Amino acid sequence: MTDALVAPEQRRRLRPSGGQDRVFRVVLRLAGTAVLVLMAMVGTFLFTKAISALRAAGWSFLTTEEWEPDSGRFGIAAVLTGTILIATVAISIAVPLATGMALYVSEYAPARVRRILINMIDLMAAVPSVVYGLWGFAFLQAHVIGLARWLSTYLGWFPLFKVTGSDPRDPLATETVYTSSTFIAGLVVALMVAPVICSIMREAFSQAPIGEREGAYALGATRWGMIRSVVLPFGKGGMIGGTMLGLGRALGETIAVYLIISPVFVIQPHVLQNGANSVSALIALRYGESGPMALSALMAAGVALFLLTLVVNFAAGSIVARSRSGAESEA
Amino acid sequence: MSRKIRVVLAAVAVLALVFSGQVPALAAAYVPINGAGSTWSENAIRQWASNVEQYGMRINYDGVGSTSGRNQFASGLIDFGVSEIPYGKDDGAATEARPKFPFAYMPIVAGGTSFMYNLTIGKNRVTNLRLSGETLAKIFTNVITNWNDPAIKTDNPGLVLPARKIVPVVRSDGSGTTAQLTTWLVNQYPDIWNAYCAKAGRKTPCGVTSLYPVIPGSATTAQSSSTGVAGYVSQASSVGAITYVEYSYALNLHFPVAKLRNKSDYFVEPTARSVAVALLAAKINTDKNSGDYLTQDLSGVYNNTDARTYPLSSYSYMLIPVDQENTRFKVAKGKTLGDFSYYFLCEGQQQADQLGYSPLPINLVQAGLEQVRRIPGVDAQNVNIAKCNNPTFSKDGSNTLAKTAPFPQACDKVGTTQCATGTGGATANTPTTGGTKNTGGKGTTATTSPGAKPSSSVSSAATATDTSGGGAVDPDTGQAIGGGDGGGTDTATAIPVSLTSQLDPTLKTVLIVVACGLLLGLTVGPPLVARLFNRGGRP
Repeated sequence: MTDALVAPEQRRRLRPSGGQDRVFRVVLRLAGTAVLVLMAMVGTFLFTKAISALRAAGWSFLTTEEWEPDSGRFGIAAVLTGTILIATVAISIAVPLATGMALYVSEYAPARVRRILINMIDLMAAVPSVVYGLWGFAFLQAHVIGLARWLSTYLGWFPLFKVTGSDPRDPLATETVYTSSTFIAGLVVALMVAPVICSIMREAFSQAPIGEREGAYALGATRWGMIRSVVLPFGKGGMIGGTMLGLGRALGETIAVYLIISPVFVIQPHVLQNGANSVSALIALRYGESGPMALSALMAAGVALFLLTLVVNFAAGSIVARSRSGAESEA
Repeated sequence: MSRKIRVVLAAVAVLALVFSGQVPALAAAYVPINGAGSTWSENAIRQWASNVEQYGMRINYDGVGSTSGRNQFASGLIDFGVSEIPYGKDDGAATEARPKFPFAYMPIVAGGTSFMYNLTIGKNRVTNLRLSGETLAKIFTNVITNWNDPAIKTDNPGLVLPARKIVPVVRSDGSGTTAQLTTWLVNQYPDIWNAYCAKAGRKTPCGVTSLYPVIPGSATTAQSSSTGVAGYVSQASSVGAITYVEYSYALNLHFPVAKLRNKSDYFVEPTARSVAVALLAAKINTDKNSGDYLTQDLSGVYNNTDARTYPLSSYSYMLIPVDQENTRFKVAKGKTLGDFSYYFLCEGQQQADQLGYSPLPINLVQAGLEQVRRIPGVDAQNVNIAKCNNPTFSKDGSNTLAKTAPFPQACDKVGTTQCATGTGGATANTPTTGGTKNTGGKGTTATTSPGAKPSSSVSSAATATDTSGGGAVDPDTGQAIGGGDGGGTDTATAIPVSLTSQLDPTLKTVLIVVACGLLLGLTVGPPLVARLFNRGGRP
């Protein structure tokens, strides 16, 4: 950013920074370190609180599926798998959706529509997650059962889409086997993260250099050809970064998931089937009613989630920074 | 879920208070207090809290479940808690945190834990299901898994139930309602309950629990909070689901509840009166020095032989801080909590029936009023109980509500064709088949009429004849049932089941493959072909 502001022709000599500048720099540094310190404090706090549970459970904390901290049998095998499954469903729905949205807004939409669309997308990102959750529980779930049934009927041979206890030929078969599932929770989370992903992608796409765009057109490219050869390669970093940020948010999404799922403490890979779980929903469900041991166990689950999101976000940050669009926008 | 809505509503209410500008003088006298806990009694507490708002009292209540309520109260986060069971009663008792300050239990309201269900025969909603305790125990322990099970048929000779899977909906959070249900299971059907617990991986013998064990892969679905389970059952897709919630939730959602069989072989609905009758047999701890003073022992209620008993009746309790030396409790809050308590123990009880609860009897109101005096900072009053207009009070100290409760109709007796009248919030009749024509019992139908207000001033005929408005009513049988002409209608009901024609599975697979091939060929084909031609044209 600073290089762009300095005119290249004449080098100006900057005065050595005075007192004001120094104070300002110190303040900024403090603010910067505060973020890191806070992060470290959250981590340390979680870890110290979690240590007694981790000690009690040992390595079985990673392999146990049940969650009965008071009787000493608890682990994150089921909840962590559930979290990842919900996030995966969310991302695989949100990314294509967000890519399409971002491309349309930045490349195709007329200027006036574009402004409205951008506002709408920002508004969607600002809707509180509990609203999405309520809507998902009370409205979407009933309407998406048909899709879930269709998927399980025709694609049931694919292990993830299998639903036990359903019989499409029985008109009296209960539809509840398709409710409260990983799929529905993932769908709602997808709608929540799509606007976030879309904003980042749009930002990246709109920065594709005009010269290269014109060049592509000059060589006879159609608009789609230009997008494929200029915009998408340029915005690749933004796309990956946006996806990772969306993934980070999907992993941590709490209240919408909490409202929809029927928690089960077993690794449940059938995404369309009733019964799912996630770390954050588990914490929301149990924190209020936990004794000291159970609370410590929840903290341990929180540590696992914290580490997972940290890794995802760092990966996203480094990818975005390394890409062309990211380097220009972030540096 | 609805907690958040309520927060929003509360915020709006606060804004309204701020802007209306007429309350400050009153509001200054009271400090807002916060409570949390049971969702079982939440509907009553919310109504009372909004009633006292006119006096400038602000009571914030958070329905987070009894377990969480006890926990938050113990850690001093809230000013009062509400719980169905006392500390140390469920299986997590060993690790449960107890308050380190003096506290007491105060009964607030009575009510019935009802079994709300969503079941249809053809297009007709079933509103008159009857279930025996054992059948219910087996339903919630995955022993009976289908609505056409012979055991359910025995309870309901007048219904031809479909071969639908039963979906028991249980609470996923720590809940007093779950604790009430499991207390009953432990007391009445220990074998069924223990077998289930063992299967779910809990230690046996399985005691009272607030966290319902769920066997992964079973039809049982868990949802959080009473609103959550009731909302889930009321969804159109949840046909075949049954859950346990306080009666008021079924009333609010206009859903039926199962009539439960009592020890005198009558099937009874958890109305205010049947709950009042049942609780005559509750054993209350009357030892003032005991830490559990006023808490309940319900085994007598489960075994009450009065024909009007609803067996799963219970009292709900508020946890209040006591003792002047209680440093954790701000004395200013005591005035609000005290006056609120005076309100709901006296006047508030009149509304219990209408809300789907049952009013407290005189002895508990008196004991409750004495407990209020122990709240630090309370503005002690001498309440004239006679002026409370509590429907249970009488001159001689007996429970008027229970005394005047009507006996169940003849068609509610085991073995008869059941009454066609609806239950809970579902007032529509359900056509029954076969059996003898029933006559209403002793002309008391006026007080036992279905609907939300069993003993309200609304005439029963008006509520009963309203049935033709319900969409699910068969036009042939949706006649007015009122007065002495009883509930049964001898109409044969056919059960239409729509079947879609089924293709041969192999043929279906082949067709799917062909369709996919065509789709691919049409989308990817032309560009590929064009490219091939181009290459041929220009080397």
